[in-house]
Order: sequence, then C-alpha cells, then structure tokens
Amino acid sequence: MYRISVDTGGTFTDVVVTDSSGGYTIGKALTTHARIFDGMREALGVAAEQLGLGVEALLGATDLFIYGTTRATNAIVTQRVAKTALLVTEGFPDILVLREGGKLNPHDFSRDYPEPYVPRRYTFEVRERIRADGSVSRDFDEAQAREVIGQLARHDFEAIAVCLLWSIANPAHEQRLAALLDELLPGVPYTLSHRILPVIREYRRASATSIDASLKPLMQQHLSGLERDLRAAGYANDILVSTTLGGCMNVAELIEAPIHTVKSGPAMAPVAAAAYTRLEDLGSNAIVCDTGGTTFDVGLVRDGNLTYSRDTWLGGLWSGHLLGISSVDIRSVGAGGGSIAWCDEGGLMRVGPQSAGSDPGPACYGRGGELPTVSDAACVLGYFNAGAFLGGRMRLDVAAARRALAPLAERFGASIEQTAYDIISLASELMIKAIREITIAEGVNPNESTLVAGGGAAGINILPIARELECERVVLPKAASALSAAGMQFADILKEETASLVTTSNRFDHAAVNRTLGELEGRLLGFLEGLGAQAQDKARLEFFVEARYFGQIWELDTPLPFSRIEDAADVERLVEAFHQVHQRVFAIDDRASAVECINWKARLTVALSSPLVQSLARAAQGEDAPVAAYRTCHFDAGVSIETPIHAGADLLPGHHVQGPAIIEEPTTTLVVYPGMSARVSDAGNYILSYQ
Amino acid sequence: MDQKQAINPVLTAVIANRIDGIVREMTNTLLRAARSAVINSARDFSCGLCTADNQLLACADGLPIHSFGAHLQTRTMCEFHPDLAEGDAFLHNDPYTGNTHPADHTILVPVFVEGEHLFTVVAKAHQADIGNSQPTTYHASAKDVYEEGALIFPAVRVQRDYQMNQDIVRMCQSRIRVPGQWYGDFLASLGAARIGERRLKELCEKYGKDRIKTFVRDWLDYSEQRMAQAIRRLPKARLVNTGGHDPVEGIVPEGIPIRLEIEVDPEAAMVTLDMRDNIDNLPCGFNVSEACTISASLTGLFNSLPADIPKNSGAFRRVRMLLGEGKVIGRPAFPHSCSVATTNVADRLVNCAGAAFAQLGDGYGVAEGGLGMGVGLAVVSGDDPRQGNEAYVNQLIIAINGGPASAHADGWLTWGLPVDCGLMYRDSVEIDELKHPIEFSHIRLIPGSGGAGKFRGAPGGDMAYGPTEAPLTVMFPCDGQLSPPRGVRGGGDAIAAAAWHIRADGSQSKLPNVVALTLHKGELIRGIDCSGGGYGDPLEREPRRVLHDVLERWETPSRAFELYGVVFSGSLEGLDLAVDATATTVRRQALRAQRGNG
Repeated sequence: MYRISVDTGGTFTDVVVTDSSGGYTIGKALTTHARIFDGMREALGVAAEQLGLGVEALLGATDLFIYGTTRATNAIVTQRVAKTALLVTEGFPDILVLREGGKLNPHDFSRDYPEPYVPRRYTFEVRERIRADGSVSRDFDEAQAREVIGQLARHDFEAIAVCLLWSIANPAHEQRLAALLDELLPGVPYTLSHRILPVIREYRRASATSIDASLKPLMQQHLSGLERDLRAAGYANDILVSTTLGGCMNVAELIEAPIHTVKSGPAMAPVAAAAYTRLEDLGSNAIVCDTGGTTFDVGLVRDGNLTYSRDTWLGGLWSGHLLGISSVDIRSVGAGGGSIAWCDEGGLMRVGPQSAGSDPGPACYGRGGELPTVSDAACVLGYFNAGAFLGGRMRLDVAAARRALAPLAERFGASIEQTAYDIISLASELMIKAIREITIAEGVNPNESTLVAGGGAAGINILPIARELECERVVLPKAASALSAAGMQFADILKEETASLVTTSNRFDHAAVNRTLGELEGRLLGFLEGLGAQAQDKARLEFFVEARYFGQIWELDTPLPFSRIEDAADVERLVEAFHQVHQRVFAIDDRASAVECINWKARLTVALSSPLVQSLARAAQGEDAPVAAYRTCHFDAGVSIETPIHAGADLLPGHHVQGPAIIEEPTTTLVVYPGMSARVSDAGNYILSYQ
Repeated sequence: MDQKQAINPVLTAVIANRIDGIVREMTNTLLRAARSAVINSARDFSCGLCTADNQLLACADGLPIHSFGAHLQTRTMCEFHPDLAEGDAFLHNDPYTGNTHPADHTILVPVFVEGEHLFTVVAKAHQADIGNSQPTTYHASAKDVYEEGALIFPAVRVQRDYQMNQDIVRMCQSRIRVPGQWYGDFLASLGAARIGERRLKELCEKYGKDRIKTFVRDWLDYSEQRMAQAIRRLPKARLVNTGGHDPVEGIVPEGIPIRLEIEVDPEAAMVTLDMRDNIDNLPCGFNVSEACTISASLTGLFNSLPADIPKNSGAFRRVRMLLGEGKVIGRPAFPHSCSVATTNVADRLVNCAGAAFAQLGDGYGVAEGGLGMGVGLAVVSGDDPRQGNEAYVNQLIIAINGGPASAHADGWLTWGLPVDCGLMYRDSVEIDELKHPIEFSHIRLIPGSGGAGKFRGAPGGDMAYGPTEAPLTVMFPCDGQLSPPRGVRGGGDAIAAAAWHIRADGSQSKLPNVVALTLHKGELIRGIDCSGGGYGDPLEREPRRVLHDVLERWETPSRAFELYGVVFSGSLEGLDLAVDATATTVRRQALRAQRGNG
C-alpha cells in the first residue's frame, strides 16, 4: 500500500509517495488555484507514472493521504477572507487596532499605521463585563445583544468572531452570545475566543479568533471540496491535513478550527528535519533551512522535538497580524534565489529585501528581469546547468545574467565573477544571521546541531553557511525541494488544548490546577476515542505550563514532568523545571524568585507509523562517483576550475564527491565548494562536510 | 583621495551585519531576562557598542532617547580608570558625566583583544527604583540632586577579573526599594554586556584584529558619507523653532520655554543644532542632561532623514552641536536635578527639532507627536487584597499618544512618546487587571482627534480605570494639557491631554498635568491622551483617504466636510458612502476662497 503526501504551495504542488517496501517517489506540478485538485492530479500523475500506474490505481492502492495547503495563509495575506464581524466588550472596541505596540525602525515615518484584521466599522460592542477573577462586573444585556446581532444580519456578514474581556476566566457571556447567534443567524459560522485560544492578553486572543472565523467559510468549502474530489477519484481511506503545530488532523476538526492550517507548510520542514537526522543518526538537534525564491525560513529541532512559539506574525512583525496560537517556530528573512543585489549610497553592497519574485524572476530566466539576483550570481558562476535547468524544463540565459551583474561589477571595480561570488556571500550572511537569532532565542548551540537544507535554492550556499556556523553535520535530503511534503510523510496526529489559570508557586492552587489539567486531558481523551481503538496504543499525552518569574512579562513553555500536581514536592519539581528552561534560554536563573504560572497546555500525539526507508543498491567499495559532464565554475578569489558535474540519478549510496563539484538533482543544485565534500547515505541523502 | 574606494563593499557589509547581530543579541537578553515592567514592557533600555577611543559604533533597536550619548559615558570610564583591564565592569548613572538620568543604570564593559582595549559595550536600563527620596524615578519637584536622593555612580567599578564587588551590590540593596527587582535587572544588564563582550572577542578572533580595526574606520566613514549625502539633498537654510513644557503649578509656574536654531549647510554637508539660547537650570527635576539633549535633538533630526542611515559617531561628524553650560537644555550645572531628563522637556525637544525641519518645505520634517505621561502612563500603587495585602508599585504602559504625520504617511497610532517613537510595547488590559487590583471601564480612540492634514496625525485615546476594592494611588507627571502638539505646513494641531477624577456619585473634577491622587472603590480616573499633529493642507488630502477615514471612524463626517472639504454621496448607514468628486472640487475651491478672504 502507498502513503501520499501533497503540499500545495503558492507556485508548485509537491507530491511524495512512499510504499510499504520503502520506495520513494516525487511528483511536482504547477498549483492550480481555481481548483486545487487539477494541479494535484497532475503532480500525482507524474508520481504515478514513475510507479507505472494511473492516478486512480495509485489512489486505490493508498491507505493514507496527507494534505497540506497554503490556502489559508494566502487568503489572509491577500485579504480574501470572509466578511467578518468582531463582537467585543463595550468600552473596548479598539483591541485589534491597538495591538501590543512595538515598531521596527523608530525613525521611519514613511509608512501608515497598519489596518486592523477586522475593520473598525465591522467591530461591535456588546454590553457586558467580566472581571479578572471571573465575577460579573456588568450583567450581560440580552436586549442590547439581540439588537447588535440584528445589525449583523442586515450587513450580510459571512462569519462572526467573539472575543470578550476575561472570557477565559468565565465563558458565560461568550456562551450566551453563541446561543443568540445560533438562534438569530443560523448557519453563519462563528468562533468564540475562550474556545479557540483560551489564553490571557486580549489582543492575541481577538486576533486568533478573528482569523479563525474569517477562514471558516472558505476552508470549509476548500476542504470538503478536496475530500469530494479525492473520493470521486477513487480514494477511500483516511484523509489528514497538516497543521501549524507540525502534525496533522482530520478534516472535520479543521473545518471547525481552520486557523490551525495557517503556515502549516513551513511547519513541516522541521518535521522532515527531525525524521532525517534520526534516520541518518545525526543526533537530536537540528537547524532546518528552507530557501525559496523570496524567503529563507529557519526552524529548529531540539532534543528530537519541534520548538513552538505564540508569536507568529502574518505579514511582518508588529505590522501584520498575530496568529496567537502555538505554532512551530519558524523565522523568515527576505533572502532567496530571487533577492536583488544593489549598491547603496555609501558604496556598500546589499542583497534584498526586494525580490524579483517569479515574475519577471531573475534575469537568467529570460522573462524580462534586468536586476541582478542571487540566482543570476549562481548562474554566472557556472553553478546551474543553463541548458537543462529544473530537470530540463527551463533554459537559462547566462548572457542576460552577466548583463544584469555588469553595472554592479563596474561600480565595485571587480570582475563579474567576483561580484557574483560576493552576492552569494552576502546572501549567506543574511541567512546566517537569521539562524543565529533563532538558535540564540532557543538556547541552541549551532555547532552541536545538524544543518538540514531544503528548498529549491538551498544547495547554492548551504556549505559556506555550515562553515560559518561550525555545523559539522549537514544533510541535504534527496527530497530537499519537496521538504514540506516529505515532512508530512513523518507527521503524527497532534492536538493541543489550552486553558488560562494564573497561580504562583508560593500560593499554589492545587485544586484549580488539577481541575484544569483534568479538563484538558478529558477533552483530548474524548478526541482520541473518536480515532478508533488502534490509535489508543500509539497515543502519548504531555503537559506544559507557560510560566515566568514573578514580575516578568514573557512566559516560557515549560514541560511538566507529570499530569497532576499533588503536593509541595510536585510544585518544587515544576519550579525546578522552569529554572532549567530559564537557564537554557537566558543563561541565568533566579532561584529566590516565585514562579507565576499563566497558561496550561496538554498535547496529544498519536504516532503514525513512519514510512520505511528503502535500502538502495550500494556503490562498489572505492568506486568513483560517475561524472556526467564538466563545466567551468568560479569560486572565491578569482579561482576558475573545470568542475565535474554529477547527475543525482547516477549517484549511489557510498559514493563520495570531493569538491569542487556540482551535483544536479532535477529540482535542486548542490554546490560542493573546493575543499568540501558530499557523500551519499544509505537512504540516498547527501551528507555534507565543509572540512 | 576617494575614500569610498578604500571601503571593502562586501566585508564591511558582512561585519556590520555581525555587529548589528551582536547588539540585537544583547538587546534580546536584556529584554527577556529583565524583571521590571519598565524594562521588559516599556523597553526602557538600550544596548550599544563604542570604540576604545569613545566613538559610538552601533546601537540597534535602542530607545532613541538613550542611544546617542553612550560615548560620553565610555569617555568618563576611560578618564577615571587608566588601569582598565579585561574582566572589568563599571556602573554609571551620573548625568553630569554622560548619563541620561540617574534611573538609567548603565553597565560598561571594556572589551580586550590580545591585551588591547578595542571596544566598550554599553547596556543601559531604566531601573524601577534607584533609592530616590520619593518612590518615583521621575522626581519632578526635586530642587537638586540632594533632594532627589538617588545613589550616584560615576563609572564605578563593579567587577574586576569578572568577580563582583559585593560592597557595591550591598550598598544598592540597602538603599533601593524592592532590592530583589533591582538586583535582577542589574544582573540582566551585566549578562547582556558580557554576551556582547564574548561575541566581540569571537568576531575579532575570526577576522583578526587588524581587519576589525579597518572595518571600524570604514564603517564610521561610510556612515558619515551616508549622512553627508542626506544633508546635501536638503535646501540651505537657517531655521528657528521654539516650544516648551506646560507650566506646572508649584514647580515651574511659568512653564519651560525651549529654543532651537538650526543651520543646514548642504555645500559643507553639515547641520548645526544650536541650543545655547535657552534658560538657565531650574530648581526642579526637569533639567535635561547633556546625553538627553544630544539624543533628543538628534532624534528630531533623524526623524527628518532617510530611516536607514546608521546612527553612530560617523554620522554625528556631520552634526555640530552647540550647547550652553548650566542650561535647562544643554550641559546641566551641578547640583541641579535631571531626574525627569528623559521624557517631558526632552519630548518637547524631539518635537521642536522634527517640526523645525518642516520649515524647509513640502516633503521635509515631521509634525509634532503626542506627548505626556498621563493616566495611561501613571505609576499606580497600593495594597493588593488578592495577595494578602502585599504592596505593589508599577508604571502602566497603556497610553495612546498619537504619532505625528509626516510628509509621506499618517501618524503611527501606538507612538508612545516622542523620545521612544513607537518602540514601546503596550500593556494588555487583562495583564494590567491581573497584576493590579484595578478595573478599566473603557479604552477607545477618539474619532476626529488627529491633527488634520494632507497626512493626518494619529488620534488620541480616552480611558478610565479605578480600584476594584482597596484604595489605589495614582501618580503621573503629564504635559500637553495647555499646549498640545502642533501641526506643520498647514496641518492641524493635535488635541490636548486632559484628566478627570470621577467620584462614586458621578461628579467630576478636572485634574492638572501633574497628579498624585488616591482613589477609593467606586471612583475612576479618566484621561485623554494627546493626538499627533497633521502635516500639510487638509484640502490636499486624497479624497479616498478621507473616505476611508470616515468609514473606519478615524474621522467624523463633519470634519471631512468642514476641514477636508470632501463631499460624499450615499450614507454610512446605507453602506454606500462614496466621494462625490465634483462636489468635492467645488467645496475645496470654496474653502480656499474663504481662506483667501479671511
């Protein structure tokens, strides 16, 4: 039987098919936004053909289908979500407008203040107020609420978000509103803040609630439509959808809470990294880089686990919209193959953040781009196969790339090749900084981690990046260009439940905490029951507290060593666990301070069986890696070398490639710089070394 | 001759990127490990690097009022300590030898590479308490430093060979309120400085000392060149602008006038900021230290220049600063107090300088931005019945002072104060109600309050809160009730700040700028924060922007008609509001004609 994972990105739809004997097939096609299934079908066809099957036959012989989509992310970024109203506590209409403050450059007066996610005119105040302790300060005014909902009906809203102050301490008023919405606006989807994100801080709760509600009509239609298409094409088994938590969920759950599909694609890269480092026996810490045309995403695996953040912004830190929910921590910088190199007024070279995108794209694509990009630099240096780029689907215009670089070279008084090399070095520098920032924030040491490279443009500079960070272990998976889809093959079913309950270690409220933990556990066990008997054996429950030293503002995610906190000794262990997390992240702790617990979290993991890894035929001992061609490539300090070019398809496990060399895979190019090397692992991945 | 030929365009960019990363790592460490809200919520701290010869090299993401004077402090360190050695750390908070104000405890760590002093790292953080005679770090009425009462550290060695001098720690702990909180923040600053030191050593090891020295020279030259190019694009002019702090009853009944003369010389690529013509020091805490004078006036200048010019001593070479001795703005004379140096008068100076550049013509400068530490930036204190009547004292950071309009954009809403330009975080209502026994009754923007203009100032906010049970003491040193921020180039002025005490029976009394008040259950304090001033003629505002403002309730329909001259068809209620282009043209012509006659 087969397992299929599909990642529909903005440009490409990637398909990865594994079979029960460990076979591994990749299909790729352009994404068809009008009807996702058309592009998916084409990509499935590419994979099926390699297996000697038709699409129907492949689907008929598949027992698990995992789907990932950028649909929700794109809808938010392009503002094509449902017309959504926000209901808030009277007196506080500007929660989404005021955000939590912060600005990137204090002296920049060139930008208007960002618009709120829900327009102010679509925000309605409801007369009620709950206090911090859950008591009612102002009774729910049903007549006024009915009047407000009457206005909503007249304005044809397609979705409703409800976020009342302190609904996390007492959800009664949000529940009253839900009942009224059921009665007065039947069929209009809504989201309640205490259900979708029961954490303290009204802005992030309102933001998550609004985003979720605004996605409901769209994602309901999208996911049901996809399910229908798959069934019609002959697929009869389970369909799971990947989530921002780095796991997957069934369709019904995500139709109820579609926010969890936002940024699910990038979240799968660390899942793939965790799988590959485990597979290749390269330790339990990894840094995963995904280099695309315009952005460079970095994520982490620490001690074999994904790392999470509640500070994921869509559309830019402080100026975009905060997702709020816990999601796999991914940092992005505007650097990729399409990033444009330029010279500033003071005579310094800069790369990005402007990008040539995919249209017109880099100059070497020959579609009218005239500005020099990172891809043009790689092209000029001879790293790309101009005659047969992207597995032969595209020819590159080297002359156009040289023309694009010439003005910069002249400006710097350097050769075009040296300028090209410098562009790649500077792009690498931006990526190195992004990696340093995430590893610092998480207290991870880069040189004790494995660097995993993914994305179409990763192979150009992953080795120099590894050298700078002193990452001695580097992997470029065979499936590097379809890293998210590959990650889905290894994803587990993941579900989190959160509750807000504030208590301090020196006045610990055991009863309330255990009641809360019990509720969280109960909800997850209820969900588990619905997954059938088989799932029970593979289920794992973990508990966390988001805590801080008394007086601090920002919480740290702290794993609880147990599911209930019975006595003083348990509180001691919780406090000790927090000290350790604080020490790891900030290199200091404060053992005299009380610890304040803010939010409680339970996570259910149901492990899906990992796909087998095929044992490929090995190269004979000492056999040289076959060379497909030679090309002149340029490296640092004006060195030009007639460089051996290897075709990925010719390389077998055990083959060793000494730089300088280029390895060409159909959708990615790996540059092995002079003095560096690559070897093919048993599973067919490239294990790289800069030494 | 041609300096830029000497700059390696790639290596300089690479190392500058690394240096920026080091300062950001210091910043991140301090931000997240600090204990007091004023640091981790208000971001009232900054990190930077100076060279061994006391030039500011880098200050990423620091609060503007902190950032531009750090080299004065490292100079003091070098002068006082000819025996500088690896492993030293110094505590500096003396406003007469380079610090901003005494509450900004600054850690200075000289960085040695192969036995040579190459850099000094600087980590400055506003402490929640510094042992003043009153429980506030903004002691407005202090006649002099003696009444102010802070412990002063003029670059005092707190570590030698990386070992703490516990005498100094004990001195602070026996004299500062909530000593544990002070010590936590002190350690966070020290940790940030030591991280900066470690990273700089790694950098020098990687590139070699000589290449780093070359980089320092090149980077400062490059920054100077960027600054020179920006100044060359300005028109030649001599600008004079005035402003001032509102009168404060019992402290400065006449107010504090300020005056700034600016000479823009594009041929020489120089800007002169002349602040010598200001009044003498006053017997109160409002005197502005030298570091704050430099930072506030440079903030106004940088607000009027392209945003990506590196802020360091290289850029500053293109600015001539003329400061008077013993002046309320300039170099303060001992023992006058600079307790409130970083905000009130400094806020006015930022506004005064930014608006002065608007005199250069359309496209230059910015309007004046919302200011004043009012109800939303008050220090609240009392006993918390939920915590066994434990005492609490904290500053709320939830104000909505609207930002100024510029020649290119509307005002930034969460602007905070002119001295921070929007960098501060804002509190969550729920977090504030969790941390203190208070309840907010409302927080909302005031439609139609932003200064009108081709670009509009951000609106001000309206909020009120009171105690849930036990009495609540509220203290704040506001400004802006009498002279609100002004618009420029025909842009409208902002609204003024205001505050009221609302009693349980609903009766209200108006409060002055500076307030110390205890509220009882059932009572509220209500405040209005200043909006930002407008830029340019409102009749030139694009009608589609005015339509959007009305739809989104930033503006009122009547102001759209009266001030902006925009006529709509349809109605808000009917959901079909649209610009009537013809009627708008007519209306705008009529308004222009009216002005001509008026």
